[in-house]
Amino acid sequence: MQHHFVDAEQQFDAAKMGMWIFLVTEILFFGGLFAAYIVYRLWHPELFTMASEQLDTLWGGVNTLVLIGSSLTVAMAIKSAQLNQKKNIAINLGITLALAAVFMVIKYFEWTHKFHLGIFPGEFYTFGGIDHPQANIFFSLYYLMTGLHGIHVIIGIGLIAWLLWRSTKGHFNSEYYTPIEITGLYWHLVDIIWIFLFPLFYLID
Amino acid sequence: MSGHHISTDRTLLGVAGGLLILTILTVAVHYVYIPEPWSIMVAMGIAIFKATLVAAFFMNLYWDDQFNTLLFIASLAFFALLVGFTLLDTLFRPEIMPAF
Repeated sequence: MQHHFVDAEQQFDAAKMGMWIFLVTEILFFGGLFAAYIVYRLWHPELFTMASEQLDTLWGGVNTLVLIGSSLTVAMAIKSAQLNQKKNIAINLGITLALAAVFMVIKYFEWTHKFHLGIFPGEFYTFGGIDHPQANIFFSLYYLMTGLHGIHVIIGIGLIAWLLWRSTKGHFNSEYYTPIEITGLYWHLVDIIWIFLFPLFYLID
Repeated sequence: MSGHHISTDRTLLGVAGGLLILTILTVAVHYVYIPEPWSIMVAMGIAIFKATLVAAFFMNLYWDDQFNTLLFIASLAFFALLVGFTLLDTLFRPEIMPAF
């Protein structure tokens, strides 16, 4: 415990509050892109309806369930730590990591499929299958928002892998599991952002 | 670390089950014709409810220090301001964007 805290309890609560303040900045970070989405969708509603058909609802839905599952397993990892079940901490973190990797693999196939069709962001867009002069707007937003989200998933993968390694070394127990708690909070926000990205891009009319 | 709420397996699995059902509902609603603007409101309503479940029971806000919930709500309030004021401009332009 660090000297500037009254007790371990206060140190834990301070860490949690600090992570929540960071999550506030993350919400506004993505919020700027969601604002851009809202502006452009209200300007070109028919474009969004047409372009959304290029996205595969099935894989978007599978990815949604993958992330929800990973949120469950990271919450289980925290619970394992609270109950001092050290082996289960590693198991739950491992499953979380695997699900996160599955998400990125699916995302990889989704993106490469689009590249194959000539669907690129901005001025590099060469797909002719959507009858709208500004079709690249939808896909620019798609790549920006799912791309930024994907970067956050990759960062999460790194963090969870680090936690997994530490848990195998016995660093966590019911007295100390703060890094798992705050990484878990970050991971849940990544899940929440995807919960909004899925209907906004994949499920337009 | 006493005083930290420990969720039961039942709670966590129950919330996950609820999220699963809501995800299926999200997709199902997509295939049912709902006139604009209600279709987007229904989709966003379900998404908001899912996000609330994650925030309250996976992120533990339900049992946590209420200041953290206040922080979360505050970020949503500022996001609403961002979108609201932006739309006050963009929805009322005679020509959308001159050079685009």
